[in-house]
Amino acid sequence: MDKLKDTLQALIQPLLAIVAGLLVGAIAILLVGGDVLETYREMWKGAFGNFFFLTNTLARATPIILVGLGVALAFRAGFFNMGAEGQMVLGALSAALTALYIPGPGLIKMLAAIIAAIIVAGLWSAFAGWLDSRFGMNLLITTLLLNYIATLFAGYMVAYPFKDRTGSSALSQTQMIDASAMFPKLFQGMTVHLGFVIAIVLALGMHLFMKHTTKGYEIRMMGGNPLFASYGGVNRGKLMIISMFVSGAIAGLAGASEVLGTQYRFLDGSLTAANYAWSGIMATLLANSNPIGTAFAALLLSALQTGGMGMERNTDVPLEISSIIQAVLILFISAKITISFIKRKKAGAKDGSAV
Amino acid sequence: MDQLFDVSLFAAALRMVAPILLAALGGAICARVGLFNVGLEGMILVGAFSAILGNYLTGSITMAVLFSVVCTLVFSLLFAYMSINLQANVIVVGIALNFLATGLTTFSLRAIFDVKGAYYDKDMKGLPKLDIPVLKDIPWLGDVLSGQSILVYAAIIIVIVLQIYLYKTVAGFRLLAAGENPIAARSLGLHVKKTQYVAVLICGALCGLAGAQLSLGNVTMFTEGMTNGRGFIALVATMLGQSNPIGVAGASLLFGFMEALSYRLQNFSIPSNITAMLPFVVTIIAMIFFKNSGYKDEAKKSSGSSR
Amino acid sequence: MLLEMDSITKSYGLVTANRNVSFNLRKGEVHALIGENGAGKTTLMRILYGMESPTSGHIKINGQPVVFHDPTDAIKHKIGMVHQHFMLFPAFSIAENIVIGREPKKSMMFDRKKAIEETISISEKYNMPVDPKKKVADCSLGMQQRVEILKVLHQGAEIIILDEPTGVLTPLEVKELLASIKSLAAQGKSFIIISHKLSEIMEVSDRITVLRDGVVTGTVNAGETNEEQLSRMMVGRELVKLERSTLETGKPVIDVSGVSIKGNKAKPLLDRISFQVREGEIVGVAGISGNGQSELLQAISGLMAIDEGTIVIQDQNVTGASVKQIRDSGLAHIPEDRYLWGVSKEATVSDNGIMGHLASTSKRGILNRKAIRTLVSEWVDRFAIKTGSLNTKAQYLSGGNLQKLIVAREIAQQSPFLIAAEPTRGVDVGAMEIIHGELLKRREERAAILLVSSELTEIMKLADRILVMYEGKIVGELDAATATEEQISLLMAGGKAVG
Repeated sequence: MDKLKDTLQALIQPLLAIVAGLLVGAIAILLVGGDVLETYREMWKGAFGNFFFLTNTLARATPIILVGLGVALAFRAGFFNMGAEGQMVLGALSAALTALYIPGPGLIKMLAAIIAAIIVAGLWSAFAGWLDSRFGMNLLITTLLLNYIATLFAGYMVAYPFKDRTGSSALSQTQMIDASAMFPKLFQGMTVHLGFVIAIVLALGMHLFMKHTTKGYEIRMMGGNPLFASYGGVNRGKLMIISMFVSGAIAGLAGASEVLGTQYRFLDGSLTAANYAWSGIMATLLANSNPIGTAFAALLLSALQTGGMGMERNTDVPLEISSIIQAVLILFISAKITISFIKRKKAGAKDGSAV
Repeated sequence: MDQLFDVSLFAAALRMVAPILLAALGGAICARVGLFNVGLEGMILVGAFSAILGNYLTGSITMAVLFSVVCTLVFSLLFAYMSINLQANVIVVGIALNFLATGLTTFSLRAIFDVKGAYYDKDMKGLPKLDIPVLKDIPWLGDVLSGQSILVYAAIIIVIVLQIYLYKTVAGFRLLAAGENPIAARSLGLHVKKTQYVAVLICGALCGLAGAQLSLGNVTMFTEGMTNGRGFIALVATMLGQSNPIGVAGASLLFGFMEALSYRLQNFSIPSNITAMLPFVVTIIAMIFFKNSGYKDEAKKSSGSSR
Repeated sequence: MLLEMDSITKSYGLVTANRNVSFNLRKGEVHALIGENGAGKTTLMRILYGMESPTSGHIKINGQPVVFHDPTDAIKHKIGMVHQHFMLFPAFSIAENIVIGREPKKSMMFDRKKAIEETISISEKYNMPVDPKKKVADCSLGMQQRVEILKVLHQGAEIIILDEPTGVLTPLEVKELLASIKSLAAQGKSFIIISHKLSEIMEVSDRITVLRDGVVTGTVNAGETNEEQLSRMMVGRELVKLERSTLETGKPVIDVSGVSIKGNKAKPLLDRISFQVREGEIVGVAGISGNGQSELLQAISGLMAIDEGTIVIQDQNVTGASVKQIRDSGLAHIPEDRYLWGVSKEATVSDNGIMGHLASTSKRGILNRKAIRTLVSEWVDRFAIKTGSLNTKAQYLSGGNLQKLIVAREIAQQSPFLIAAEPTRGVDVGAMEIIHGELLKRREERAAILLVSSELTEIMKLADRILVMYEGKIVGELDAATATEEQISLLMAGGKAVG
């Protein structure tokens, strides 16, 4: 009974949030003088209208799913890792440089690029975890600040030492990687690539990891009640550094997947402008850090974004409607966390031990 | 090095301190009543946009600043309602508001000005620069302190006003009490929730001013995400300054100076990417001196004990 | 009569904290309210101070009926309360703490000079000297207590409620406090004192009312009673001795020697604690809560660092070891506060069950769901834990059932050493019997058990030896077979052992 109730509640609240988001979006559409139904129809078409748009949505969802999974892991353990953006950018840069400069056949380049991205981004993220467990520096703030340092550093690397000077382009970017090291596309002529498969496999894998492994168990308990976990013998500092490493590593993988599967080089600002990392964090918040849920939430956010682009092509309503809808979704989710908080308080009061 | 540390560097520093300082003061007031406001970044962004919008709509600088304050007040009410009445996790609410601010400003930029990324109108007037009579004639000091935008002086005055409010008035004393020990404050019949609302609204107004200085202070323009981490730096300034106005001013001065220095260093053929890291690196180093309260205490506070 | 509380009843759902309690207070009188933990003293005073409203019954002041909705109403009727946990602002000065809520002002400004003057004048009037500019955080607990009383006096209180006023004070501070109370009473102030400490009560009060299980068992004049009689009135029930064999104790399983934790207060949290628990022995730690028991448990289980001393479990020196190492050396631990330490409320029954059992329920890092189900459902049957399923979240279980789950989990460790802290707090009689039976069974199996409880009856029933803690020290060791409740209560209250 309880389980069914929990599942239903877990489903109802995101749905309510989506409805609220669409309602507020409708108000915004009316404000700019658009036709609500027409606009939403175009939005739907832009996201899922035909096979090209559908796969395009999936391609955009790929980095969002990956980042979301990384963040979900940290959130599950109760650590506010807000550094996905920097971790992703460093991962992308490392992947691009490795693929460019490691000799060998394409497959080796590809694997080396992925491993480099995972290690660099993981260490960068674990560094923040170490600062917290060693010096008591607030993880939320350090990860936020480290974002800026990471993106600036990556920008420097491609503006100076590793700048592509072969073409006439003045852009800060690396050279293009070897075609043999690129992720294969899943369908001829479509943008969706191997990274999407990796993301889905990882989502399933993380779901199983959380549910069925002892480390996953320790992470869940640490996030639920850190005192209980400590009492049971879980070492918080160690767990923090490990889970921050993995969390950052997955964000780094997201960066690698963008480089190897879509952009084929590291272009300064391209990942931050697309807002992949923050969308990933939003997806995690929407799904309350559930891996499978995060993947679905990432798809939803991606669809809102690609749908927004489609809508903008065919109506006068600006693309930014999407960001309004996304923001309202998140606001509703913070309210959802409140509801579970109130529930918990009631459950505590039921005990009735007065004194 | 003479060229590096010249008059205009310090003048620029003062200009760049203002938004950080104003927001950090807001953060300090919130921290004083027990609310850790991660939403500063979003509040400044709303302030920056609505200042430009107010200017565009009315053509009056006074109205623009007023409009920015009002908009940010409304926005901060959302933060207050969700964290005080609904008792939602303050950090999640702060993050959510940052998202909302980004969404609202990019949408409005598009919907109202029909531009993407940035809005700039060369005919739009910025905040007036004040020449302080006697002061401006003092050689070095005059060049640094005089001729700044009106909000820079306002920020300095607000530091003093807040210092007096918190440490000299009865209302400020009770605000401190509500944050220091809410249970004790309630047992004395003080209204803790009302006090928290007041604090969040003060914070909102200050972030409105911070935003106005950002978009109208030097160049009159708005760009998407133009706060660029200043809200988070302000948050660290709040922590370093121990939520004490004078202390917060000191910390903000440090960060503002680093920002000015980072721009200045670009003239010395150091790549801008490297110089722009300076404020963030210094901020992180500064954090070593501020210790988090242990996670055990945090957990004990939030967990409902059976006793 | 200055104050009359007439037939007060207060129920929380099925639990009745006060039943038909009548209590009165004369002007200039010191009236003590005593009773065991959970007897309903604090509830009664919270009603008087407007923090709770009674289910039935009424309050009269100077013969006039009054109704209090919140503390402000009580303060208006000149009732002041000094809470057990002080309601002070540590960062503020003494003067600020005393005038808060009634600050002297010059227009909008807080007149701190006047505040200091008022503080000095009130402290001189009642002969309770303080340094008005000193920060409360830098004051001893005795000084903080004095600030609390001055604050209440500054509010104009005529009736002053003191909740466990001496619990945290040093003997000298207690003496000073008692002297102040007497002198204030002589100046016409009236006091209600809630306490466990019989010797202090006997010294300071005029009349004593005893509560037991929410009911008044008597009101007596202090001059016409003695501590033994009061103890009997407080406890009042016959002990049911459980069937238990006499066991030959074996080698020591845990050896604690000279353990101290300084803390940041005037008195150390733990002061050179030494004891052993042997195979097949239950050692009870008695004491009023807050006398160092929590710190002792956290120190032994590795959750709190110690400043001095050593802890040896099963011949392994585990001083400074991690929680995991200590558990591996042979410790299981029923924690004193189940919601704070014992469970994760959002997690399921089985997830809460396997904490500490990962070795037997997983293989190469993968949880074995079947083994978990077998393990936890066996506990559910054996301890009669009422739960929807093994996947029900812990927050939906009642307190008693949750406690049974925790006890089952820790007993199933089959560890040579078991800490049982408040094992039956807030559980019903049935659950209590099951838990007590299981603890005795572990004893038969020759485990060493350290039982910490604020329920004296529980300790008397289960323990072979009894240690009494008071102010972070072990102040007495008694043989459970010969010790009397009166003896232990006296030690718990800081008195000297008789015989």
